[in-house]
Amino acid sequence: MAAWVQKNRTTLGIGLGVLVAAYVFYYAKHDIAPSMFGAAWGYAIPLVLAALVGVIGERSGVVNIGIEGQMLLAAFAGFFGAAYSGSMIVGILAGVGTGLIAGGFLAWTTVRWRMDQIIAGVVLNIIATGITSFYLKSGEILPGVIPNVDVPLLKEIPLIGETFFSGRSAIALVAILAAVVVHLALFHTRWGLRTRAVGEYPSAADTAGINVERLRLVNVTLAGSLAGLAGLYLSMDASASFERGITAGRGFLALAIMIMGAWRPLRALVMALFFGFINAVASQLQLTGGFDVPPQLTGTLPYVATLVVLAVAAGRVRGPAAAGQPYVKKDQ
Amino acid sequence: MKSSRYLVAVPAALALALAGCGGSTGNTGGDSTDTGSAAAGAPTDDSKCADAEVFCIGLVTDTGKVDDKSFNQSAHEGAKAAAEQLQGYYKYIETQDAKDYAANMQQFTNKKYDVVVTVGFLMTDATAAAAKASPDTKFIGVDQGYDATKVTEKNITGLVFPEDQAGYGAGYLAGLMTKTNQLGQVLGLEIPPVQKYAKGFEAGAKAANPSVKVATVYHPAGDNAFNDPVWGAGQAKTQIQQGADIIFGAGGNTGNGALQEVAKSSGAGESKFCIGVDTDQWDTVPAAQPCLITSAEKLITKGVTDTITTAKDGAFEGLQTLGQAGLSDFHDFDAKIPADVKTKVADIVKQMEAGTLKTGVTL
Repeated sequence: MAAWVQKNRTTLGIGLGVLVAAYVFYYAKHDIAPSMFGAAWGYAIPLVLAALVGVIGERSGVVNIGIEGQMLLAAFAGFFGAAYSGSMIVGILAGVGTGLIAGGFLAWTTVRWRMDQIIAGVVLNIIATGITSFYLKSGEILPGVIPNVDVPLLKEIPLIGETFFSGRSAIALVAILAAVVVHLALFHTRWGLRTRAVGEYPSAADTAGINVERLRLVNVTLAGSLAGLAGLYLSMDASASFERGITAGRGFLALAIMIMGAWRPLRALVMALFFGFINAVASQLQLTGGFDVPPQLTGTLPYVATLVVLAVAAGRVRGPAAAGQPYVKKDQ
Repeated sequence: MKSSRYLVAVPAALALALAGCGGSTGNTGGDSTDTGSAAAGAPTDDSKCADAEVFCIGLVTDTGKVDDKSFNQSAHEGAKAAAEQLQGYYKYIETQDAKDYAANMQQFTNKKYDVVVTVGFLMTDATAAAAKASPDTKFIGVDQGYDATKVTEKNITGLVFPEDQAGYGAGYLAGLMTKTNQLGQVLGLEIPPVQKYAKGFEAGAKAANPSVKVATVYHPAGDNAFNDPVWGAGQAKTQIQQGADIIFGAGGNTGNGALQEVAKSSGAGESKFCIGVDTDQWDTVPAAQPCLITSAEKLITKGVTDTITTAKDGAFEGLQTLGQAGLSDFHDFDAKIPADVKTKVADIVKQMEAGTLKTGVTL
């Protein structure tokens, strides 16, 4: 424990500082702070889920730039599944299922058929934009809402409980849970070790008897369900409609979050929150007024912050070595 | 490995084909959706548009779609109605990318269309340039205000609406209805029509209730500012948490997201209300009905139909044509809004129409 604290003292120090600052802000500006933290998390939820898709993919050696398309397809299938069947459950299943299918498409094209991973992702994005625009019907409404889940006890904690454990739907809880589970699985299980091996040095993993192709197929496909949830969050939870291009680039943003989070699930969660919070600050500057700053300028704040973080972190983070390369057995 | 080439090609081709059908966003150049329609007894294609007796109307959207439940749709319906009334031929093009404005208008001017309607403030400069290049075609720019010192052509008119009056009326109503004295506005891109709504709303609210506070937020990004319902919903949520009880959503689908968020919140229709924009959103956004007390409406459909009719008969009335704006029906909230509030609001709207009340909005 002491050694672990020693090793991670910078991270812990920064984390503690941020936490203290957040609580000071929370009590000092109680009229706006809770809603800003709420807005930050609301913005971060789909980014966390989508970033996890990227993390799982790249950790297993598959670059997934089709997250945007996966989300879009799932948002579409979920919304219209629910609207036509009259059941939210059917919609959610349709959305997650579509995410899985889209993940499977990417997995099969890139891993089994060894198609270029970037092209496969682009194809997925174009297919998604095409299908969802073509079959879009306006005027449909959802039969209900995804109910909010308040976690007993945890919701009583000031700030944290209010922000994360009350007034949010189950998808938000799943996002936190998924980040923790993927972290533990990636760094503390046999599956995680194998996945990382396959992403770093597939031929060594192969020599050790790991079925590289199968592991990649399964990982990329299953990660699609998280992209599905991210899409569902957009069309069935955060808003109650499906519009063309509803993802608005969030799938690509998630890739930046993944890099900012150094391909680690929990850091990606923190980075998504950071990005969400800067966004909340940008709109709060407009809402509060008094500053004569044009909204176009405040709107660039999150992106400037991203650039700064990436620049500071640049060189220190390195992605999985084999990401982007299809694995071909030498004797084939 | 050889077969992998085909495996790339097949899905890629499929994807491109689908994207083409969808007429969606993307960098496919001038690859826009266009669909013709014609009234009975009217010309069925645009091959004879050059003839004097064949009346052809073309419409170019900004990057929105003709089913956007907002101004593109209203303008589209107005042009279609005009084509039916005037026995003309009508065709529209949905622009995919702002750099295609000129090319899309040219598709119509090359075939000698009589009238080209361009929709949206963002097309102002492109429309003025096209009017200069094609003196035989008449251009109607919806929501476009031209600089009289630069645009001297007679074949162009900008159809503008007193958005500030519609916003003022809506703000006046909100100012009388609010219990928390806190109002919110979730807006699209910061461009003159949206600013006029917003400033009118604020002025109206303050006129009705001097102690009211209005929180205002514009969408920061240019590309999807009118098509980001998730962002709109998030902003509405923040504003409600900060005490706002009436939200004015003005910005296409972005604003619609805000309306739907209010409709989902607790107390919707009882203590929390929303106000729509551009068209009567009771009909266009059914999901907002639980909270939608009214919409700050501009009569784009009627304005477009009337202006096209004017164009057919002769010259435009001037460089700008002024349309009408006002409040739409209260629908189910008719019984819930106190009678004295309704009287006061109706009075204000009447004064604005008569010109005795000025909103005081300047950009």
